[in-house]
Amino acid sequence: MVSIFGVPSVLLYGQLLVGLINGSFYAMMSLGVAIIFGMLRIGNFVHGAQYMLGAFGAWYLLHLPEIFPGLGLPSLNYWWALILVPLLVGLIGALMERIFIRRVYDLDHAYGLLLTVGLAMLIEGLFNVRYGSAGQQYDVPQSLQGAINLGFMYLPVYRGWVIVMALVTCVATWYLIERTKLGSYLRAATENPDLLRAFGINVPRMLMLTYAFGVGLAGLAGVMAAPIYQVGPQMGQSIVITTFAVVVIGGMGSIFGAIVSGLMMGIIEGLTKVFYPQASSTIIFVIMAIVLVLRPAGLFGRDTQAHSIADVSSGRADSILENGRLWFVLLLGIGLALPFLMFPILAMKILIMAIFAMGYNIIFGYGGLLAFGHAAFFGTASYIAAHMAAVWGVPPEFCLLAGVAGSSVLGLLFGWLAIRRQGLYFAMITLALAQIVYFYAVQASWTHGEDGIQSVPRGVFLGLVDLSRPLGMYFTILAFFLAAFVFVYRVVHSPFGQTLKSIRESEQRSVSLGYSVNNFKLIAFVLSAALAGLAGGLNAIVFQIASLSDVYFMNSANALLMTLIGGVGTLLGPIVGAAVLVTLETRLATFGSWVVVMQGLIFVLCVLFLRKGIIGTLQEYASNRRIRRNLEAQAATQTPGKPAEVAP
Amino acid sequence: MTETATTPLLEIRDLEGWYGESKALHGVSLNLRKGELLTLIGRNGAGKTSTLRAVMGLMRKRRGGIFYAGRDLSRTPPEIAARAGLAYCPEERGIFGSLTVAENLALPPIIAAGGMTDAELFELFPNLKARLRSPGTKLSGGEQQMLAIARILRTGATTLLLDEPTEGLAPVIVKQIGAVISALKSRGYTILLVEQNFRFAAKIADRFCVVEHGRVVESIDRGDIAANERKIQSYLGV
Repeated sequence: MVSIFGVPSVLLYGQLLVGLINGSFYAMMSLGVAIIFGMLRIGNFVHGAQYMLGAFGAWYLLHLPEIFPGLGLPSLNYWWALILVPLLVGLIGALMERIFIRRVYDLDHAYGLLLTVGLAMLIEGLFNVRYGSAGQQYDVPQSLQGAINLGFMYLPVYRGWVIVMALVTCVATWYLIERTKLGSYLRAATENPDLLRAFGINVPRMLMLTYAFGVGLAGLAGVMAAPIYQVGPQMGQSIVITTFAVVVIGGMGSIFGAIVSGLMMGIIEGLTKVFYPQASSTIIFVIMAIVLVLRPAGLFGRDTQAHSIADVSSGRADSILENGRLWFVLLLGIGLALPFLMFPILAMKILIMAIFAMGYNIIFGYGGLLAFGHAAFFGTASYIAAHMAAVWGVPPEFCLLAGVAGSSVLGLLFGWLAIRRQGLYFAMITLALAQIVYFYAVQASWTHGEDGIQSVPRGVFLGLVDLSRPLGMYFTILAFFLAAFVFVYRVVHSPFGQTLKSIRESEQRSVSLGYSVNNFKLIAFVLSAALAGLAGGLNAIVFQIASLSDVYFMNSANALLMTLIGGVGTLLGPIVGAAVLVTLETRLATFGSWVVVMQGLIFVLCVLFLRKGIIGTLQEYASNRRIRRNLEAQAATQTPGKPAEVAP
Repeated sequence: MTETATTPLLEIRDLEGWYGESKALHGVSLNLRKGELLTLIGRNGAGKTSTLRAVMGLMRKRRGGIFYAGRDLSRTPPEIAARAGLAYCPEERGIFGSLTVAENLALPPIIAAGGMTDAELFELFPNLKARLRSPGTKLSGGEQQMLAIARILRTGATTLLLDEPTEGLAPVIVKQIGAVISALKSRGYTILLVEQNFRFAAKIADRFCVVEHGRVVESIDRGDIAANERKIQSYLGV
C-alpha cells in the first residue's frame, strides 16, 4: 500500500477531498459574512440559520406535493432549488434587514450581535419545534451521481461539482465587487456611506440588497450542502462559528481573504484529521489565535479598521441606584428573606448567575469590550471544581479556589490574545477561543463528553457548613454573592475602575494621558474571568454537575443578555438581569422545545425595545425628572419677560 | 450688484441643526442666485461646514427650510438633494482609498445631461490623467482636491457646494484651484463656497456671508469689500 509520511495515501487523499469540500462551504459562507460585515458593520450570526434555510428550501421544493397535497404542485428538483432557493432566502434576508437589522446600524456592535444571535435562535428554534433534531435525507441528483476515477482516487461527481461551483461563485463575487461599477459603489459605501449618499446613491437600499446578496450566498451554500450533510435545524450552528474564525483569519472586510482562507482552513482541517485527529475540531481556532498574534489585521486584512471601544453604559454615577453602601444593606436583607419566599434552588441559581453577570459587566459595562466567550471561564471552573470534588474528594473551598485560579489563568491567556482588537473583532476572538475550550470539553476523557461530570458531592464548606442542607448551601452562596458585589463595587470605584471608565470613553485620550491601556484592559478581563469562574464553580457544586452547556456559547450569550436586560455598566443591572432571565427560563421550561424560540424572542425584543436595560431606564427616567424639576425651579426664579440666555 | 426680483436658486430659511445634543446651527438664512458665487466666511466652529452638511441632509437632526429650484429639500435624505442637482465636495475631500482614481472619478452617478466630458475634465485637471490607475488616496493632497472637484463636475449637477477646497494646500496649488473655480463660474455653475482664506475668496466671490454662532450675521457684496475691510477682519480675527 502506498503511503505518505506513514499515512496510507488513500486516506490522505480522501481527507484532502473532505477538507476541500468543507473548505468550499467555509469559503462561500465567510464570503457572505465578510461582505455583510464590510458594508453593514454587522456580524451576521444568523448566517448559519440562513444556510440551514437554504438546505430546507431545497428539501421543501422537492417535497412540494407532499407538503401541499391539494394544490397539485410539482416536485421541483435540485436544479430548480439551485436557482430559486438563493433568491427566496435572499428575499427573506431583505425582509430581515428591513424589519430588524436596519434598526441597529447606528448602535454598538453588541446590539447587532445579540440581535442576530436572537434571530438565529428564533429561526433554528422554530425548525427544531417542527422537525426535531433529526436530519432529513436529500438525495444527490441523478445526473451528478457516480464517481470519476482520477487514477489515484475516486472522486464522487457531486463533490467535484460542489468544489467547482463554490470556486465559480467565489470568483464571480470577487469580480463583481473588485472590478465592476456596482462593486465600486459597494467599496465606497464600506469606506464612507454618507458621502456616497451625498452623490445621489440610495445607500439604505444598497445595504438591504447587499445583505440579501450575502444571505443568498448562504442559501446557495445550503442547497449545495443538502445532499452531502443531513438537512437538520442544527446544521448551521457549528458552521457559523467556524465561519467567523475564518473571516478573522482572512482579515475582516477582505473578500479575497475570506475566499482563500476558507478553502485553506478546510484543507488544513482535513489534513489534521489524518495526522492528529484529536485536534481537527479546534485547529481552525488555534490557527486564528496564531494569526492574531503575528498579524492582528488577519492574513489579507487591508488595514485595521478602527473599531472603537464601545461605551454602551447606561449607569449614572449620581443615581441612588448606584449607591453601593445602601444597596449592600438592602441586598443583604433581600438575600436573607429570599429562601423563605421562593425555592432555595431557584434563589441560588439567581445569585450564581448574578455573580456571572457582575463579572461580565466589569469587562463589557466598565471596560467597554464586547466579550463573547465567558462560557469558557464559567465552564472551566465548573469542570475543575466538579472533577476535584467528585474524583479526588477535595473539600468545596479548595475546589472553588482551584476553579477560580483555572479560569483566571485562562482569562489571562485569552485576554492577552484578544485585547489587541476591539468591537466585533473582540467578540469573535473571544468566541473562537471559547470554542477551543468547548471542543476540548467534548473530547477530553475527564470531562466525560455529553454526560459531563455527574453526582458531584457538595461536601462541607470550611469544615463548618454542611452544604448538602439547602439553607447551608444557600447562605454560603449568598455570602459569595455579597462578597462579589462588594468586590465589584470597590473595583469600579477605585482609581483602577475610574481609569477603566476613562478608557471606555476615549481610549486615545487615555493613551495620551500616559496610561498603559492594554494593561488595564487585561486586568479587567482577568477579574471578569475570575468572577465568571467563581460562578461556574459554585454552579457545579450547587447543581452537582458540570456539563457541556456550561461551556457552550449560549452561556456566553446569556451573560451578555443578563447584563443588557438589567442595564449595562450599572451596579444593580446584572443582578436584576439575572433574576429576570432565571425566572423567565424557569417559567418557560414547561414549554419544551419552544424555550429556544422564546429565548431568541427575548434577545430580539431586548435589543429593539430595552437597550438601556431595566436599571438604566429607571436611572434615565429619574435623572430626566431631576433635570426637568431644576429647569422649572430656575424658570420660576427668573424675572418674567427676561428669557434665560446663556452667555456666549 | 443689486438685489433683483429673480427668485433665488437655493433658499435657506432659519436652518437649525444639531450634532447629537449640541446645537450647531441657530437659524441660518441665505439665498443663492443662479450663477452666483457666494462664499461663507467665519471663524472655526461658526457653522459654515455644518450649513453645507445640513443643506445636503448629511446633518440628520435639522429644522428649517431648504428650497432648491422650486423643490423642498428640508426633510429629504442626501441622495434626493444630490438628485435634485446639488453636488457636494467635502472638506476632508472624501477620496475613496479602495477605489482607483478612474473609479473615484466615475463614482457619482450622472443625474442630468450637460456634465463635463472626460476630455474637458482632463483639460481642467491635467494631473489626473496620468494617475488614473493608482489608488485614490495615493495622490498628493492637491491632486486629491482636484479629483474631489472633478468627479462632481461629470454628473450634470449645476450647483456646487465646495467646503474649503484650499485647506492645507501649497500656495501654487491654491492658485490653480482658484483658476479652476473661476473657470467653473464662467461656465455658469452656481457655487456655494466655504472658505477660511479670505484673500483667496475675495478674488473670486460675488458675495460674502459672514457666519457667526450658527447664524448669517452679515452679507457683503463684492463691491463693498474695500469699504468693509475692517469689519470683515474683526469678524475673522481671533
